[in-house]
Amino acid sequence: MRKVAIYGKGGIGKSTTTQNTVAALAEMGKKIMVIGCDPKADSTRLLLGGLAQKTVLDTLREEGEDVELVSIRRPGFGDVLCVESGGPEPGVGCAGRGIITSINMLEQLGAYDESEALEYSFYDVLGDVVCGGFAMPIREGKAEEIYIVCSGEMMAMYAANNICKGIVKFAEAGRVRLGGLICNSRRVDNEREMIDEFARRLGSQMIHFLPRDNDVQRAEIRRQTVIEWNPTCPQADEYRTLARNIDSNQMFVIPKPLSIEELESLLLEFGILEAAAA
Amino acid sequence: MINILQERERQVNCGTEPFRMDCDKHSAAGSVSQRACVFCGSRVVLYPVADALHLVHGPIGCAAYTWDIRGSLSSGPELHRMSFSTDLREMDVIFGGEKRLYGALTDLIGIYRPKAAFVYSTCIVGVIGDDVAAVCKRVGAEQQIPVLAVHSEGFKGTKKDGYQAACSALGELVGTGPTRDIGPRSLNVLGDFNIAGETWAIRRYYERMGLQVVATVTGDGRVDDIRRAHGAALNVVQCSGAMTHLARAMKDKYGIPFLRVSYFGIEDMSKALYDVADHFRDAAMMERARIMVREEVTRILPEIRRLRSGLEGKRAAVYTGGAFKAFSLVRSLRTLGMKTVLAGTQTGNADDYQALRELCDDDTVLVDDTNPLELAKFIQERGVELLIGGVKERPVAYKLGVGFCDHNHERKTCLAGFEGMLNFAREVHATVTSPVWKLIRSSRRETTAAPLDQCGHDCGRCTLPMCCGAPVPPANAVI
Repeated sequence: MRKVAIYGKGGIGKSTTTQNTVAALAEMGKKIMVIGCDPKADSTRLLLGGLAQKTVLDTLREEGEDVELVSIRRPGFGDVLCVESGGPEPGVGCAGRGIITSINMLEQLGAYDESEALEYSFYDVLGDVVCGGFAMPIREGKAEEIYIVCSGEMMAMYAANNICKGIVKFAEAGRVRLGGLICNSRRVDNEREMIDEFARRLGSQMIHFLPRDNDVQRAEIRRQTVIEWNPTCPQADEYRTLARNIDSNQMFVIPKPLSIEELESLLLEFGILEAAAA
Repeated sequence: MINILQERERQVNCGTEPFRMDCDKHSAAGSVSQRACVFCGSRVVLYPVADALHLVHGPIGCAAYTWDIRGSLSSGPELHRMSFSTDLREMDVIFGGEKRLYGALTDLIGIYRPKAAFVYSTCIVGVIGDDVAAVCKRVGAEQQIPVLAVHSEGFKGTKKDGYQAACSALGELVGTGPTRDIGPRSLNVLGDFNIAGETWAIRRYYERMGLQVVATVTGDGRVDDIRRAHGAALNVVQCSGAMTHLARAMKDKYGIPFLRVSYFGIEDMSKALYDVADHFRDAAMMERARIMVREEVTRILPEIRRLRSGLEGKRAAVYTGGAFKAFSLVRSLRTLGMKTVLAGTQTGNADDYQALRELCDDDTVLVDDTNPLELAKFIQERGVELLIGGVKERPVAYKLGVGFCDHNHERKTCLAGFEGMLNFAREVHATVTSPVWKLIRSSRRETTAAPLDQCGHDCGRCTLPMCCGAPVPPANAVI
């Protein structure tokens, strides 16, 4: 089983990208489980057609330890198994601990057992690796390949660089590696070239450049992935390409995070900071 | 031979000049400190308030390990002896413990109808960020009693920070009660915790001098007394580490002066009474104090003299929480003809150690925030025959075959005041002159003569200088 985690700055489009890519992989006939690791529990909405999924933590809280796998795992588009970790409301408790508890629970319940015959598990993780809990999916035995969603915007690149630091920490002790950067275009100048170069300097690759396309929003409003909503539109093919690239990926590295100076000079080189100054 | 950890070298002084000692710092990593955490510091200070509800917001262990933590007696209600907990578990950590706290508080107040409630924050509450103060405020308004948040997250500092958190909570109570019937010859007893009824003895002395005792904080403490404590003319502070914060705050806010005293030993007890009489500049009160001291001392002195004859020249070690108790113990031991060869505290400050250095002999070892290994080292090195300390020091003494006298939370004997000095003398005498030490010491000599790299089991597995802990195999066993 390939164990994949998707990280990236908040609002960059992690959940959308993950679900569309997963939909494309499912189209290829792959057996997949998606685990949303965001307290908002909206990581599987497009795959489930907006159906509210009862979260692992809510179930644990209400039903105690006797949880059954079927009650927290629901099949969505292409028979993708969807799980939402869940977590506290904003401003209370500890969401990080929630992720730890919920992933341990899934393991105990045998969600990853060989008998499940999964070919892929995808973790869709909230934002940055802010604390130990949010790093849970990249610890030993969990996700082994990480893809970072970013764009040519400065803060998205800062976040990606930061996430790489987190990967380095866990890569030294375990098997987690960076599989590549997914550029989710914001139509920044020289974006493709810059992220390509950024990925190269990190010792990795840009695994795909996703152009900006309003069809993504059109599908989202219908609570569907692009693949399901309009399988023939060009954006659906973009996600298919990304899915194929991931499926055939052989490049798994321990990234070399950039210093702030290096990162800023990269932005200068590609004209972003200059443009901002003007 | 045990070496002092490098980080702790400046927290130990063996009489070298010029005198300089580090203190008031976090315990060194790797040194098993004899000091408790912030939460425990708050808990021991507030615990004796007998008609308040004490609710520990945290996992069950925090409440279990501080349940009935000191032998503080109450002349009335005993709600303080219960250890209530919100029993936080994994799901509460994830989703936050505020609702659980609200429920527990509301239920408990409904059942026990306390005069006030103290809610203690523990480590995990600090990490997950529960808004304890907001819950307390809400429940206080709904239930019409003071509900006080004690900000005592364990990792926040040292035990002393816990004292401060406790004093801040008490400070919120002070000033909320009526003071009409409080006269000008009045005081609060701060920093006595009524172990074995000590606060009662102290209160009687002050009352015999013609003083009105408004509040005892916190020994045999009552919420209503504390609420009107700002009506008293003087604060008398024992246990400097714990209660000086409150005394200072009351001085700033209400202009109440404070005196630092100690009630242990003939010298310090008498001085406390004279200092108070002196403060009120009342000749009649001073005369009453003199008569009382004379009576009390005359009563106990013959027996103390008799006990002293068996103790002359014996060597003692003293390790206390606050420094004032250490001063008193050094003086009391001197009254009994004994030498203090090691003295230390958990919470003493630079001034305290300067005073302790001057009070002790030139070669007395001083230690700040010590650990069992250091204590053991100096006890052996200096030939200590009696260790005076608390529950955590007791096993150190007993393992070394040295007498121990409990001067802390758990004891059942009153050691304060004149009667207390007599009890202390009797206890020290019984301990030091007990024939049991001769037996233990001789058997210890035999043990240490055996090779130290074997466990004595002959099991072939042990290379440690102590027993492997494995059961002794029968003679014919195949290993």
